[in-house]
Amino acid sequence: MITLQGLTHVYPGHRKTPPHAAVRDLSLHVPAGEFCVLTGPNGSGKSTLFRILCGTLTPSAGRVEIAGADLFRQPDAARRALGVVFQSPAVDKQLSVRENLRLHATLYGLGRGTLAARLGEALEWSDLEGRLDQRVDTLSGGLARQVELAKCLLTRPRLLLLDEPTTGLDPASRMRFLKALHTLQRQRDMTVLMTSHIFAEAEAADRVAVMMGGHLLALDSPGALRDRVGREMLVVEAEAPDHLHAALAESLGRVVTRHGDELRLEGLGRGDGLALLEQVLAEHRDAVRSVAIRRPDLEDVFVHITGRDPGDAAGPAAEAAEVPS
Amino acid sequence: MIRIVGALAGREIIRFLRQPNRVAGSIGQPLLFWLFLGSGFSPTFDAPGLEGVTYMQYFLPGVLMMLMLFASIFSSITIIEDRDQGFLQGVLVAPVPRVAIVLGKVGGGAALAVGQSLILLVAAPFVGLVPGWGGLALILGAFVLSALGFTTLGFAVAWGMRSTSGFHAVMMVFLMPLWLLSGALFPVATAPGWLYALMIVNPVTHALRLVRLPFHMTPGELAADPAYLAALAVTAAWLAVCLGLSVWRVRRVETGVAPHRAPA
Repeated sequence: MITLQGLTHVYPGHRKTPPHAAVRDLSLHVPAGEFCVLTGPNGSGKSTLFRILCGTLTPSAGRVEIAGADLFRQPDAARRALGVVFQSPAVDKQLSVRENLRLHATLYGLGRGTLAARLGEALEWSDLEGRLDQRVDTLSGGLARQVELAKCLLTRPRLLLLDEPTTGLDPASRMRFLKALHTLQRQRDMTVLMTSHIFAEAEAADRVAVMMGGHLLALDSPGALRDRVGREMLVVEAEAPDHLHAALAESLGRVVTRHGDELRLEGLGRGDGLALLEQVLAEHRDAVRSVAIRRPDLEDVFVHITGRDPGDAAGPAAEAAEVPS
Repeated sequence: MIRIVGALAGREIIRFLRQPNRVAGSIGQPLLFWLFLGSGFSPTFDAPGLEGVTYMQYFLPGVLMMLMLFASIFSSITIIEDRDQGFLQGVLVAPVPRVAIVLGKVGGGAALAVGQSLILLVAAPFVGLVPGWGGLALILGAFVLSALGFTTLGFAVAWGMRSTSGFHAVMMVFLMPLWLLSGALFPVATAPGWLYALMIVNPVTHALRLVRLPFHMTPGELAADPAYLAALAVTAAWLAVCLGLSVWRVRRVETGVAPHRAPA
């Protein structure tokens, strides 16, 4: 449904800042009907990539094909297949829900009859019924997001792009929005490409793409990604991490990684954690503040793959600062 | 295309009408300017060639022009707001001809300006300015042309700007002088040489002529008046240039530089 080929984007420099590459030779194919989550730390190039896919930024090199149409050569055909939900709402807050939907329908060339016929299917999943004549700025954040998605559904997009759509929502609204999104994607056979820096949001995806420094670091199902870290992992909190780090590595003969004050033993098979835990306590009890066996989640995978804590903006990759769209 | 332009222009009008203070301000401000400045300057106004014209009469077309300038400034500010608040990004990713985006914004802004001008025009008979029906039609045409001229100019300037405070600077040093030097406040003919030169190359001077002359001359006289015809040509050219510039700016998409220029 969407194919990116050798996509590279270099922002022009200014007097004091040299040009910098935000996306580097990135290729990705998302087949029809897939729910793909694109994730990565701040400054990884997600937002730049998103702007390219929307057609509001022309990349330095590379091709983008959406529903068989070249985004740069046949932009209108590609745009027609595309629905976009932006991070900052693209609705007019001073207009009512109905007026926003009508305006959107007109922009996509839908007649009044089509709009009336599709209004039901665009709204049935939402909590917007009975609020059509309310102005958007009187709605809660969660409902305003629903307007955004409902608006996109009117045009029956084959590919739905979402840029961190749950930003600013409380946990309950976030869950509701994502659940609705997954249901709609299956029911209406849409392809979804969504960026997110919340790894829990990727758990239900078909595939997760991890970006860093403009590169695609990993692309796999959440299950397969988790297996990279093993079935279990041991997390040790130390009084003196530097000291224990070396001591553990020596006495256990395993790779110990350090994340902040935490030491991790990753890639353990099922049940291996307990034996290792006993060994750690037997040999290093005095140096250990706490120790836990955990089933890795995607956040751990992310830490494992990128070698940094999520949300940590320091480090070499953060130099490619994310540019807001 | 026409439906898209209509929908975008309609949005401008709905938003305007939902802000009562904007409605009151846009009519009230020029009206107060006219009453206060007009009354204050009236006793001293004695321009050659304009015998029998009071300053209240002279200043009214100038105030109408100011109203259009401010309407266009408001319209331009909404471009920056649309971008800032996110509405614009939704329009830009839609399969919409870029010309329609310009025409929708500019059409809506100009319609508002013409509507407000018509309301202020009601004041004309009270100071003895009574154009004939033909003159009235020409004045209406002049309203449409100059309103479009101003809004497209504002569009071309404001597109791509990120902050309304930046636009205020442009407004004060560029847009306001266009109006000040249009003959709105004082006649072009009696201005000192250097000022005269500035005024005569100012397109707003010519747009103002299109509004002012039909109050004093019949359509027949105007058709034979070279100054009026020249004003018509200049105003039309001004509109065409600004429209072209606006469309060009909207079509331009930020583009990355060649890959080899980035450090590895």
